[in-house]
Amino acid sequence: MNDTKPVSKVLVLDDDLLHADTIKRFCDENNLVGVKVRKSRLLSVLRANIDLGAILLHESYGGSLDEAAAIANRIYAVRPELPIIMRRERRATMDDLPESLRQILCAVYVASDITPLRDVIDKYIFSLDYPNALVRGISEISESMLTTLFKELTIASERPSIVRDRIIFGEVFSLIALESAWCRGYMMIQAEEEPLLALLDQRRSGSSSAASADFRDLNDLLGELTNMIWGAFKNRFLGEVDPTRAQVQVPLLVNHRQKYISFGSDNPQLCFVYELTDEQSGRSVKLHQRFVFSLSWSPEAFSEIAEQPGATVGAGELDLF
Amino acid sequence: MAKILVVDDSSTVRDEVAGFLKKNGLDVDTAVDGKDGLAKLKASPGTKLVISDVNMPNMDGLTMVEKIRGELANTTVNVIMLTTESSPAMKERGKAAGVKGWIVKPFKGEAVLETFRKLAG
Repeated sequence: MNDTKPVSKVLVLDDDLLHADTIKRFCDENNLVGVKVRKSRLLSVLRANIDLGAILLHESYGGSLDEAAAIANRIYAVRPELPIIMRRERRATMDDLPESLRQILCAVYVASDITPLRDVIDKYIFSLDYPNALVRGISEISESMLTTLFKELTIASERPSIVRDRIIFGEVFSLIALESAWCRGYMMIQAEEEPLLALLDQRRSGSSSAASADFRDLNDLLGELTNMIWGAFKNRFLGEVDPTRAQVQVPLLVNHRQKYISFGSDNPQLCFVYELTDEQSGRSVKLHQRFVFSLSWSPEAFSEIAEQPGATVGAGELDLF
Repeated sequence: MAKILVVDDSSTVRDEVAGFLKKNGLDVDTAVDGKDGLAKLKASPGTKLVISDVNMPNMDGLTMVEKIRGELANTTVNVIMLTTESSPAMKERGKAAGVKGWIVKPFKGEAVLETFRKLAG
């Protein structure tokens, strides 16, 4: 596995022990993390957000092709944005599959030739090239701002991943536009309300303020975190925008009931997950950060903005004019 | 009449900055955006120092400073921007509007306290 590149989680619905090593090797070689789940928990897991990139399904998963087809259809009904790739036993063809199954599968492959699998991974998951400096920079900036805002907490982060999920994690999220000559899109930070409120209350218990934290306090904190990360990201990676260029906009769509957000683009998203822990109480909070470059993406034009020559004033210091 | 006005749409920042300054014996008021900041400054012309964010709804910080100098004809109050912005173009606009200094967030109180005391008279 290439340790510098983001990974992607793939749900492996394949109980064939003979094939397990092949799948594992394929995952390791292609920066994938295989996730297995009990069949009885499949749909409940899919309804939650576990930041998936694709589904690998065996044609006999569940006991037969009919059973596997039924499972594929149920998966597609709840998560149509996730590519489903089926492993077949004899031939890598969809010709003999039911029409309803052919319509929802992205590809089929056989164990002896995983080229179609690789093609799908490249096309659906790793279709956007994210410069290493960008991925590294986002982690550095975000962890620095998290440490500033949450001085008393330990910050841990997962390996960045590429996701195709459109499901919103938690109940509260911030959204801010990213604009530059080489990329346009949005950054989101998503969180669960209750653990974050508990953390805020814990902070207040040490102060003279008697009132419990409410969702407005949480909104404000999340907003400021977003603002600080966005500002540092903008300063390091975005540069000035040409104000004379007409900027295209696309509506964003949020379905609260389904906890679903669409940016109008089929592109996969770059996802970072941070865990903030209060070592004393053991309480922790997860924050999901997503970068959605839905409006334009030109990584060939990416560059980090060099510090101005002669600039000696760092963040937090006063630059007197 | 407060000598220092802290202007930021984030209550997290207002609490942090104003709280730190008050803890160090300074007299502080707060505003939630540029429009509110302008109104409070108009009501308290004796304010010596404004510490303001740039990116705020209703009225941004730089527009507020331009109006302080223009509409309010207040050319004496010291203004320090406390913001995530660091672009040269923004700083130049700030300078042209009569901003005294610029701090890129995060706020580090101890590093700026003495300067703030002097600017607040």
